[in-house]
Amino acid sequence: MANKWEVFVMDLGELAEGKELELTIRTLNDGRHKYTYQRAKVEVSAKLDQFADSLQVRLGRGQLSDRKFSIRVIERVERMPARYL
Amino acid sequence: MAKISAPKSNREFIDACVQSGDAVRIKQEVDWDNEAGAIVRRCCELGEAAPFMESIKDYPGFSYFGAPLSTYRRMAISLGMDPASTLPQIGAEYLKRTNSEPIAPVVIDRRDAPCKENILLGDDVDLCKLPVPLVHDGDGGRYVGTWHAVITKHPVRGDVNWGMYRQMMWDGRTMSGAVFPFSDLGKTLTDYYLPRGEGCPFATAIGLSPLAAMAACAPSPIPEPELTGMLSGEPVRLVKCETNDLEVPADAEIIIEGMILPDYKVEEGPFGEYTGYRTSPRDFRVTFRVDAITYRNNATMTISNMGVPQDEGQLLRSFSLGLELEKLLKSQGIPVTGVYMHPRSTHHMMIVGVKPTYAGIAMQIAQLAFGSKLGPWFHMVMVVDDQTDIFNWDEVYHAFCTRCNPERGIHVFKNTTGTALYPHATPHDRKYSIGSQVLFDCLWPVDWDKTNDVPSLVSFKNVYPKDIQDKVLNNWADYGFRGAKK
Repeated sequence: MANKWEVFVMDLGELAEGKELELTIRTLNDGRHKYTYQRAKVEVSAKLDQFADSLQVRLGRGQLSDRKFSIRVIERVERMPARYL
Repeated sequence: MAKISAPKSNREFIDACVQSGDAVRIKQEVDWDNEAGAIVRRCCELGEAAPFMESIKDYPGFSYFGAPLSTYRRMAISLGMDPASTLPQIGAEYLKRTNSEPIAPVVIDRRDAPCKENILLGDDVDLCKLPVPLVHDGDGGRYVGTWHAVITKHPVRGDVNWGMYRQMMWDGRTMSGAVFPFSDLGKTLTDYYLPRGEGCPFATAIGLSPLAAMAACAPSPIPEPELTGMLSGEPVRLVKCETNDLEVPADAEIIIEGMILPDYKVEEGPFGEYTGYRTSPRDFRVTFRVDAITYRNNATMTISNMGVPQDEGQLLRSFSLGLELEKLLKSQGIPVTGVYMHPRSTHHMMIVGVKPTYAGIAMQIAQLAFGSKLGPWFHMVMVVDDQTDIFNWDEVYHAFCTRCNPERGIHVFKNTTGTALYPHATPHDRKYSIGSQVLFDCLWPVDWDKTNDVPSLVSFKNVYPKDIQDKVLNNWADYGFRGAKK
């Protein structure tokens, strides 16, 4: 099943295509975990059919961007030090 | 002091509000994702009854209570007063109670504490099990803490702090929040925990009694547990946490326990705030790791939806900041006749009434106000004389526009402490809590001759003899006018 994700950026230039990015993304899938975050290595594309999952973008004050992307989550990244997990 | 009959818990408060018509029970299911927030926001903007939402999508058994103290009527109910009490009456009662002897809390057995009815520990801990709302569309996350108390303790001095620091759910075990460096918690972190690299134990209490919430919101030097007791006239009941040594209000609906991490931060915000804006962007902020969650059966989560006026952030902070400044100024012997913040100033403008008995009195007031612990929370002080009704904006505005000399009456204070939430501040100043403040001195100069230099106010009350006023008032209806005589 395709997943829906959202990311906050100050500038759309942060979403460079054709390269691996590390982003903090939140799930928009319905249910109790909606809007929870994770850090992940991802690839994004302006071609909406490039990847199965979709990515919605919000700007600095929460404004919803018109630009949509597709996204591939390559792997989750754990930033939190192990002693706190 | 006469026996106070104030609600001792959030549940008693809801019942009292429903009974007086100041809360509405909503039976139909409400979505935690934006819908609940939109309901609360509209109630705030209309000055409506508080919404008690009894059925939450995805969260059977939980409920929401929104806009708990966004009207003076509900503030009066929280104090056990007649809902029709006037603001000066409510203020006088607050001053009377908070000038009384502190009432120490009592610690009860955990078996008697309602907040221990459900306990989640270890792998069971998941904030997503709570109906954390998305308060405004476009917020950086679901906000756990909007009307609550973050409880901490200074490890050396032992002072307990209950503060309302917003907290966003980052994931099921992590929250992040805005803690300003000049706040009590901010000082404790920078003074002790951060230099040592030690985690700071915390507990977040949600669904407090309204007076505990009032205490958590008040910038009073009195510790909040004692202040809650003074406001309610009896000791607040506390119970020890499950995973640390902090004590929390036993009657709170939900308790979240954990550790503030000293060396790791996650993103927080943006969030719609009391100024009526989302001012600051997302940033890496203070991070709370959750170790335990306890909650009452059928727990009610309280929601404050801050935005344009008026919500409890504006109303209660205006109320308590004004009264705490009045106490401070009176403690310095300044002949103030009252202090008032209009909630619609989003607690940015302090209006001070004073008998102008000596030169520089407005400047003295501003220096004390801005230099005090209260100072970072507002950036304007307007000083008017004792003939101006500080609660009457028409009179205050008239005084401001006519008596404040543009050259001598406006004094700017530069490089002071501000908050990251000031919409007018630059991004740089917000990031580093750099502020600027201004005094509007609306007093007639004391070196003006009172007979020949000071203009005479031309108003019905001021220029006509008493017998003429009485005659006109008594004949008002007979002249053919409608309405009250006075």
